[in-house]
Amino acid sequence: MTASAGTRTRPAVAAIRPRARRRESGLLIIVALVLLLGSVSLGATQRELAGQKVTWLPADAGQLVVYLTALFGAHLALVLAGRRSDQVLLPTIGLLAGISLLLMERLPQSLVTQSLAGRTFGLASIQLGWLLLALAVITIVALAVRSDAWLRRYKYTWAAAGISLLLLTFLFGNEVNGALLTIQIGPLSGQPTELIKVILVIFLAGYLSEFRPLLVEASMRLGPLQLPPLPYLLPMLAMWAMALGIVVIQRDLGAALLFFAVFLALVYIATARASYVVVGLILFAAGSVVAYQLFGTVRDRVDIWINPFADASGKGYQVVQSLYAFARGGIIGTGLGAGLPLVGGRLPIPAIHTDFPFAALGEELGLIGVVAILGLYLIVIERGLRVAASAADDFRSLLAAGLTLVVGVQAFIIAAGNLKLIPLTGVTLPFISYGGSSLLANGVVIGLLLALSDRGVEPPPPAPAGRRRFAFLRGSRQEAG
Amino acid sequence: MDPYVVAIWIVRIAFLGGLYLFMFGVARLLLRDLRAAARDPGGALARLVVVWSDVSEPPRGTVFGLDAVATIGRDVNNSIVVEDDFASAEHAALAFRGRAWYVEDLGSTNGTFVNGLRTDGLSAITYGDELQVGRVRFRFERSRR
Repeated sequence: MTASAGTRTRPAVAAIRPRARRRESGLLIIVALVLLLGSVSLGATQRELAGQKVTWLPADAGQLVVYLTALFGAHLALVLAGRRSDQVLLPTIGLLAGISLLLMERLPQSLVTQSLAGRTFGLASIQLGWLLLALAVITIVALAVRSDAWLRRYKYTWAAAGISLLLLTFLFGNEVNGALLTIQIGPLSGQPTELIKVILVIFLAGYLSEFRPLLVEASMRLGPLQLPPLPYLLPMLAMWAMALGIVVIQRDLGAALLFFAVFLALVYIATARASYVVVGLILFAAGSVVAYQLFGTVRDRVDIWINPFADASGKGYQVVQSLYAFARGGIIGTGLGAGLPLVGGRLPIPAIHTDFPFAALGEELGLIGVVAILGLYLIVIERGLRVAASAADDFRSLLAAGLTLVVGVQAFIIAAGNLKLIPLTGVTLPFISYGGSSLLANGVVIGLLLALSDRGVEPPPPAPAGRRRFAFLRGSRQEAG
Repeated sequence: MDPYVVAIWIVRIAFLGGLYLFMFGVARLLLRDLRAAARDPGGALARLVVVWSDVSEPPRGTVFGLDAVATIGRDVNNSIVVEDDFASAEHAALAFRGRAWYVEDLGSTNGTFVNGLRTDGLSAITYGDELQVGRVRFRFERSRR
């Protein structure tokens, strides 16, 4: 029975006062040193392989300096704004993205080229540009979002926006490797699913936080399972139908898997009821069996997963090469820049910069390096869930947990796919894969997590009078209690 | 052995070691946070924040940490004392049972309000809900940790 009165809340709007973020500074210095070492290692290896004199200069000092300047710039912006947000997220993301830059510098630059104003840019330059934009997005979102009212109030608007983006992809999407993935607007093309995943989490957080009391309390018995009444099961069915629609129309297995997994995890976090997860898994199993029977793409992926060596030079080629890459890497790897010899002038894994960066890192950094990369994702997840656990109300908590899981589950799906732990589905490895939409969408995720973790963020608004519709439930608790 | 090769391998292994140095740094921060949290005895399950008050006690901005059971009322034996003539001596109780929080009106004269609606008996509440007892409005919040 402690009722410790006393501590006053701070005024919502305080004067902006710079505040040191020592932990972040310390970690960022480690990040800078590690990236410098990586760059020196890459530069020396590349010069040795090219038969030049080995010098201890970084591989591409200019790009590294630009990137690190931007990273410390983001840090400085947070310091000057006096934010008391999480201090581990930015350095961790900075390290992952820095490893991405090293990897892109190391791959053949002709993999992706873009001509702009008479100059042609290669893979690493374009990726550097996207990384800088992503850092800018992180900083702007982290600084600008002081209240989450605009996220929680318009949840159905967000849902509508997400669904229309999805429909746009269905209608106007371009096919990449047999999947409708990208939308082209003028010279720019993007992957809408990357943005949809963020919108989905915002909608689910709003929906689940509003209906949580009903989902937890009400129940309908069906055999051994306690289910919520039918009206509250409908969103689950709708979500399942949407995931299946993505599989059927878009042939984008990765996005469908990601959306459904994050949805189930959020429902479980909101209700703490295993029955929902059981129902969801049954639906997932049923959908998978049907999809396997009906669609060649799905069957191919599963067959490759079960035995990639059955067609090692055809369908199973990339997965087999990925396994070889991990095997060549061994425990400490071949060293940055020393792996992946070209096969007949071509890369053994064509999609190495988008779908298989984990295999490339597995070869060059070995088991030790890959475990470290997974550890970095675990740090992101730990920090995100910590933000969720200390959030002031359900919406914010679910939002933070969902945003974290979207990044974590996506990293798991593609890393496990590269390792042939689950069937390969084409999603990007967050912050490491090449690609603008992925980097920007994940930048929004990290920016929002930073904003939500700030202790000066505006307190949640009072519950709307719209909760009146639950009055009947509240009244009826008398008998139940 | 070629000294260049040895040197390159030293740099490569230093890079891998650096990755782990970073993780070690993060783990140390985590440990420090956990120790600080263990020292802090304020292990409240949830909290009530006074968002509006027309009486002297409790004033606006007060934060109450809540245990599994807390009572609100005018009587000094309540865990949260509301000095208001419109509040009953034993006005309402808050309890965490199983998976959810409940508020129970203890037969008060002027009622307990959840999000502006009068509640009779027991009703489930969630974080972010507003409770009103007498001329004091509380917001029910998750505890800070």
